[in-house]
Amino acid sequence: MKKFRWIGFTLLTSMVLAGCGDNEGASGEEASISGTLSFYTSQPDEDANALVSAFNEQYPEVEVDIFRSGTEEVISKVQAENQAGDIQADVMLVADAVTFESLKEQELLLPYESEESEGISEEFIDPEHTYYGTKIMATILAVNTNEVNSIPDSWDVLTSEEAHDKAIMPSPLYSGAAAYNVGVMSRKDGFGWEYFENLKENGMTVVQGNGGVLQEVASGEKSYGMVVDFIVARAKAEGSPIELVYPSEGVPVITEPIGIMEETDNEEAAKAFVDFVLSEKGQEVSAEFGYTPIKEGIEVPEGLKNINEFDVLSHDVAELLETREKDKQKFEQISDE
Amino acid sequence: MDQQVHPKRGKDVISSPSFSSNAILNRKVIIAVSLLIVLIFFILPVLRLLALSFTGETGATLSHYSHILSERRTWFVLKNTFFMVLGSTILSITLGVILAGVVTYSDIRAKRFIHIFVLLPFIIPSYIVTLSWTQLMSSNGWIANVLQLFPGEIEPLDLYSLEGMIFILGLSHYPLVYLFTVGVLKKIPRELEWASRSSGASRLATLRRVTLPLALPGIAGGGLLAFLANLDNFGIPAFLGIPANIPVLSTAIYQEVVNIGPQAFSRAATLSVLLGGTAVIGTLLQWLFIRKSKQMETPHEDRKPRFSFGRYRVWVEAALWIFLLFISFVPLFSMVSSSLIRTYGLNFSWENMTLNHYKFVLFENDKVQASLANSLILALITAVTALVIGTIIAYLRINRPSSFTRFLEVVISIPYALPGVVLALAMIFAWMEPLPGWNPGIYGSIWILIIAYVTRFMILQVRGSVTAFMQVDRSMEEASHIFGAKGYTKWRKIMTPLILPGVLGGAFLVFLTALTELTVSSLLWSSGSETIGLVIFNFEQAGYTTHSTAFSSVVVFLLLIGIGLMIGLQNLWNKKVKNV
Repeated sequence: MKKFRWIGFTLLTSMVLAGCGDNEGASGEEASISGTLSFYTSQPDEDANALVSAFNEQYPEVEVDIFRSGTEEVISKVQAENQAGDIQADVMLVADAVTFESLKEQELLLPYESEESEGISEEFIDPEHTYYGTKIMATILAVNTNEVNSIPDSWDVLTSEEAHDKAIMPSPLYSGAAAYNVGVMSRKDGFGWEYFENLKENGMTVVQGNGGVLQEVASGEKSYGMVVDFIVARAKAEGSPIELVYPSEGVPVITEPIGIMEETDNEEAAKAFVDFVLSEKGQEVSAEFGYTPIKEGIEVPEGLKNINEFDVLSHDVAELLETREKDKQKFEQISDE
Repeated sequence: MDQQVHPKRGKDVISSPSFSSNAILNRKVIIAVSLLIVLIFFILPVLRLLALSFTGETGATLSHYSHILSERRTWFVLKNTFFMVLGSTILSITLGVILAGVVTYSDIRAKRFIHIFVLLPFIIPSYIVTLSWTQLMSSNGWIANVLQLFPGEIEPLDLYSLEGMIFILGLSHYPLVYLFTVGVLKKIPRELEWASRSSGASRLATLRRVTLPLALPGIAGGGLLAFLANLDNFGIPAFLGIPANIPVLSTAIYQEVVNIGPQAFSRAATLSVLLGGTAVIGTLLQWLFIRKSKQMETPHEDRKPRFSFGRYRVWVEAALWIFLLFISFVPLFSMVSSSLIRTYGLNFSWENMTLNHYKFVLFENDKVQASLANSLILALITAVTALVIGTIIAYLRINRPSSFTRFLEVVISIPYALPGVVLALAMIFAWMEPLPGWNPGIYGSIWILIIAYVTRFMILQVRGSVTAFMQVDRSMEEASHIFGAKGYTKWRKIMTPLILPGVLGGAFLVFLTALTELTVSSLLWSSGSETIGLVIFNFEQAGYTTHSTAFSSVVVFLLLIGIGLMIGLQNLWNKKVKNV
């Protein structure tokens, strides 16, 4: 991949470049891996940069180009590149397993058996090894502590009188992660579509994404929110009047999988990068940024729970992919009633 | 009053013997080349999009159209879009024209400041404007508290509704109308109004039959831009329309884009074609209006007041300032206050205040400074490119009106009317491999952003320049020929001073919009070309609202300084022209 760049623009980037060009006696396999690697991700900017910097400490000869945007934007970009005939990404780290399942179905992913997958539960790894979960992002119940007196421990609070017109969630029509949650919860005993019908009747507000949910709950506009855990933990750590609840029925979890693109121009570096993200070092870096690690034995960030401490609501990924559009339509129907 | 459609101008100019055949050849080459560029840059992405809407899994098909047009929801979306765009455009035009009229013709004071305040909502990111208004109007916001003092059950306006969307969009885009109208009003000769008054016409009749027809190019030009901006806006209908379950075309298109599966883009493209069609209809309507406009003798800009509010002046000024403070200050205040608060959701009080977020964005985050530099360079390149090409196109459009130049104008307006996501996707399709199998590396570098910005914002410049040319009576050009001014001299001495303010106004708009662009950039940037909009978007998505508002405040502050400098330069320029 030839990159035409402006001098000056490159000077301003924060990328750590090992710009010396020739191997300065670095030894072993790690030094032989070089070239550019195009990394597409929806992780927040700083987190992605930290991951890449840590990777470059081990592999100084690889120049990683980050493309970072919203989950939906990243996926659309890759799909557009695919239709235009030349996917630029080498490695992708976004969203949820269902999205990767769809890429797998289009035969865009390269199977790779990483030796670093040890300590990661089978349920978060694609059986064909085209993608691996990299972290645990639970969708939890966020509660504004100024507005709510007793902290609930069940999803049912959202259909109760206290939450009438006071609850908020992201829309599955605009956010892939939210669509995943609806897909899982609508198939679980005790929830089903009936649960969402009750939410609608109880005046649940639907907004575009997780960020909007956090803002409304933090400001006290709303008292309860269905939202991804790590941004709530961040806000709480900064002093926002907000509390995380992992309801007893369990929580849906997205894993921001990582996968190598079939057409990668730099297979070696891509594999090294996947190994690194799944390795202890990579998992520690992401835990430092407030993500629950997916690998056993890594310390969980403050304010979040370890994967063993709560129940996970999950469902067969292939089926979720097949029904995703139908699930969205169903949700839309309920909202329209 | 007879209605004058543009006469075919310029023909006699071209054939005048003062031109050497060489110059004609040169001019023709320049025109041919620039038109070719326009065709490649504007038609290619639009054609790709069109092709996509007819592409099924097994080749060409009309099935996307038959599916989409037979879905009940589509008609619901179209109906919402129609009312939203109609309402907000009327609001934008009304506010813009009234303000422009008062500022240009009345004897109120501090016009410079009013000018800056009008521009403010335009440079504050729209998501912040929306957020601040919803906070203000919320059930526990201070508007509700004030209303409680009154008897009866008055509730603040629920912004999560069609009315709310119209209100915020109208407020966000009225500066477009204002800017274009102010430029035109200043140039209407007051003698015409006097003549009408002294022939016994009332003030209203004069307004209707003299002032408004003469001001139409500006009003229609600004109105069209407001219409297009209301049509493609995603942020405001997403923020207000999703909770209220009011999908419009731009949000419905986004919904299709994020669907998984190979048909997603085709359906999105089909809806985009519907949206593009709406934009074309808007452009045609605008032409109908312009037909009613009149040419006039070209005077210099006349800034002296034409009517006096007399002893009511203070009241009018007070009303105006309350309106402006409200509209510009509410979002600004909300933005600055949330950037000073320790963390989102705390009360606004001394012990919760901090300057840490400013410290962070100014000194601790290396992306911020890089993005300021990048966006400045990008916006400058975009503005200069658009200024040159857009002005050439505008000149042709006014002086060689033909079906071809009309077609050009329509094609150029489409990229501005498409939602950013769709345009960005079209750019990927068009520029990844401009010729099958040949990837020049434009996509994946900074160049794709420049191409995308120029394509998207060119219409702003074309409209600005068209308005400028429409105000120059052809007799000026002819007179310069009679007195022997040849091509270059004519432009340097006569035309440039006359059109420059309008042309620069267009370039300024291009610069501003390109500077804080987000949606297109969010799909097309590559490492090393982060823009201001992207950095704000990143903070926002990582949950750091305080950082994003701090950075936005810094950007707005810098822009205000920039605008101050601009106004200073303009003053110098005006003095210079007067002394010629």
